[in-house]
Amino acid sequence: MSDLFKEAAHAIDLPQIHDLKNQGVNVVGHTCSFVPVEIFYAAGIVPIRLRGIDAENLSIGDAYYGPFVCTFPKALLQQAGAGTYGFLDGAVVTTGCDGMRRLDECWRKMSDDIAGTLPRWFTLFDVPHKPDGVALEWYESRVRKLITAIEKNFNVSITDEALGQAIRDQNMIRERVWELGVLRSQDPTFISGTEAFQALIARTVLPSDVYLAELTALIEDVKQRTTPVSQGKKRLFVTGSICDDIELIQQIEEKGAVVVGESVCYGMRKTFEKVAEDADPVTALCKHYLSGSICPRMFGYYPMRRDSIISMVQNTKAQGVIMQNIRFCDLHGSENGLLERDLEKIGIPALRIEKEYGALTEKGRLRMRFDAFLEQLKTNC
Amino acid sequence: MRPELKEYALDHMFARTFDTAKKAVRSTEKERAILTRSIPYVSGLLGPMLSLGQPAATFLELMSDYYNNIVNAKKDGKKVVMTTFCFDPTVFYAFGNLVPVTLEVGTVITSILWKRGSYDFMDFCTEVGFSETGCSSQRGTMGAYLAGAGVDIDMVAINMGGVCDTNGNAYSFAAQYLGKPFYGLDYPSDLTPDDVSDYHHKDYRALIRFIEENGGGPFDIDRLRELLEEKKIQDELTNELEDMQRLVPNPVPGIFNLMLYAGRYTWSGGKKYTRMLREMVDAVRANANSGLSGLGKPEKCRAFLFYIDNFSFNVGMFQWLEKNQVSHMGNMLSRFFPDNAPYKRDVLGTCYGINTKNLDTMIDTLADINARMPMTRTIRGPYDAPNMWFEDSLSLAEIYKADCCIYNGTPGCRNTWSNVKLIMRDLENEVSQPIWFTPTPLTGGWKTGKPRL
Ligand code: SF4
Ligand code: SF4
Repeated sequence: MSDLFKEAAHAIDLPQIHDLKNQGVNVVGHTCSFVPVEIFYAAGIVPIRLRGIDAENLSIGDAYYGPFVCTFPKALLQQAGAGTYGFLDGAVVTTGCDGMRRLDECWRKMSDDIAGTLPRWFTLFDVPHKPDGVALEWYESRVRKLITAIEKNFNVSITDEALGQAIRDQNMIRERVWELGVLRSQDPTFISGTEAFQALIARTVLPSDVYLAELTALIEDVKQRTTPVSQGKKRLFVTGSICDDIELIQQIEEKGAVVVGESVCYGMRKTFEKVAEDADPVTALCKHYLSGSICPRMFGYYPMRRDSIISMVQNTKAQGVIMQNIRFCDLHGSENGLLERDLEKIGIPALRIEKEYGALTEKGRLRMRFDAFLEQLKTNC
Repeated sequence: MRPELKEYALDHMFARTFDTAKKAVRSTEKERAILTRSIPYVSGLLGPMLSLGQPAATFLELMSDYYNNIVNAKKDGKKVVMTTFCFDPTVFYAFGNLVPVTLEVGTVITSILWKRGSYDFMDFCTEVGFSETGCSSQRGTMGAYLAGAGVDIDMVAINMGGVCDTNGNAYSFAAQYLGKPFYGLDYPSDLTPDDVSDYHHKDYRALIRFIEENGGGPFDIDRLRELLEEKKIQDELTNELEDMQRLVPNPVPGIFNLMLYAGRYTWSGGKKYTRMLREMVDAVRANANSGLSGLGKPEKCRAFLFYIDNFSFNVGMFQWLEKNQVSHMGNMLSRFFPDNAPYKRDVLGTCYGINTKNLDTMIDTLADINARMPMTRTIRGPYDAPNMWFEDSLSLAEIYKADCCIYNGTPGCRNTWSNVKLIMRDLENEVSQPIWFTPTPLTGGWKTGKPRL
């Protein structure tokens, strides 16, 4: 068990980030899997994924957002308003979904009322809603624009060489994360879903050199383990809305299951593919980040996502799938409906749950659903 | 969904309803009285509609044509495209063999004609896995098409990427559920820069390729030119109407707004739509010349709906406005931003122009029009960015001398509910007008909306 990963998965304000800040390194927060982190590393900036964990109420989030909106962006706003992100030198909000893109306005307007809550560099980053053709060209033009904005605002230069190095570094991480995924998929498995998911979340918030060293050590450790964690337990796969909620995975596992894989933001995502190292770095990054259509915000690409989820479920030998969506997340909520139909068609039991984000989740109701699902699996498999 | 509903083809029911309604225009008073007795629900709407005279009669014809076209599509060897209301249908009519079916139009019809609204169809969407929190405007009839109680769909084409998730998501779901090809135009958060315009143009060409690949054709250049020339006339007429709407009292009957945008969503570029606009202009001019308001009684207040209308049984909101002598000053749905509109601002690229010089200019025109359709233009970017929701609402409220602004937010609208509190605060600061906002379902929710207003 890595204490570092555990800590990183459970807290926003990390000492490793503070150390970097003390050394004069800039830190930029972002909201989405479609932001190529390599461009920040190439600029000597540390990018971290924004999280809303620990937001136990939404007094600030609800003051700016209306009702009927997903609690994840509200929780981010809550944290920003409470000053938790005061250490950021910049933030990039993407047009991920309607609720998320409005974080741009809500955060800016909130900062008019609560002084000092807006990072000195704050930008909205457009991501198209399809992964190929003319949209890919457009995305590349946006990424190049983002690079120019970073250069200007942080007074740095992002060279092709630095981008190449950042790509190689991240590819190494991808390779290791993939290895972790393979270890999880073994039967029996020697790493719990909770421990593995902690490691995945940590990837989004720790500086990459620190992360790589710790991940390598964790993988070596898992390889040495002799006591499986999966014996007598059902193997489950988790998918759906954004999730950085360790407790959710913990709750599922406490009920007598092991989570062997997930397809959620903050999870594995596209680690099985590396960014091309022999092409124009920006073009290669854009192709990698935009393609694959990992998210239902890419309208019309469900078959691609369904096939990739089914193959992950099969590769991890999962016996059932838990599909969760945050209330008012129509994108995942609806896609879970299609996926449920298609999984059941091929004999994979699936459970659909709707919940709030993170700490706002009503736990008791979910425990009951997990219990019932596992009972069903015991009878069926 | 109640099983008996599956026995009735929805489009067929709409077609027959409008066939009968348009005939009622020519009926005698006695015949009308008998008809009214036998259709107690619909009569609450038919009466006020028929009292609007010739424009309403033509509107009923337009709706009847629209649904008969859909009903007969397969028999006529045509393909059916499922599309959204913010998608200008001109391009479909330029292909000789396409018939658009717009879900939101159907949802509004079920909601204003049927007391139970479209709940059965919405329920069916939930039954087959679609999120129950999505916007009701699509779900209202989507359920019918998913259940096979509507015409067989051949392809889905929309323009909601970057504009409205819940809308795009509904059409994407329908395409996947029915196993039909899908194309979605995509919109960045900006509107005016050249590279954005270039992106719109390229994306639109890819859409045309998609339609061709899926059996649409032939794409007829002469027909396209004819449709666009007709649109020029339609824009002129709409401008005239909207110019007269600035008068005090406002001579435009509130329901004309609905007829204007519903006509445009279904028959953009069509000659009969031009006829209806012309008839509307004549009626409004007559009111204006006599100094009359479109309410049929003195105007006490002018309300600008900076979002959309509420569509409930027997057009409850419109009737309530009338009863309370409140002029409807249009809304986000009724403004299309041609470059000669009375409300246009002189920022390059904010409006569209129609250029019929050659095929390329015409395709660019279609792309430009689509990029400025309701919602597609106004709520794609940050609400406080230039030419977006706040600036549009503020300038429209001022130009049309509104006494108040109203937001009728459907709970499914993630997009506007995410920033409506911000825009309300800004509007109140800028215009010192009362702003009301009523969280009502888009359809069928006037009972909850009314007490709030
Ligand atoms: S969970 Fe869904 S609604 Fe919430 S931020 Fe993510 S995509 Fe948007
Ligand atoms: S009303 Fe709102 S939710 Fe519905 S289609 Fe329009 S922007 Fe989308």
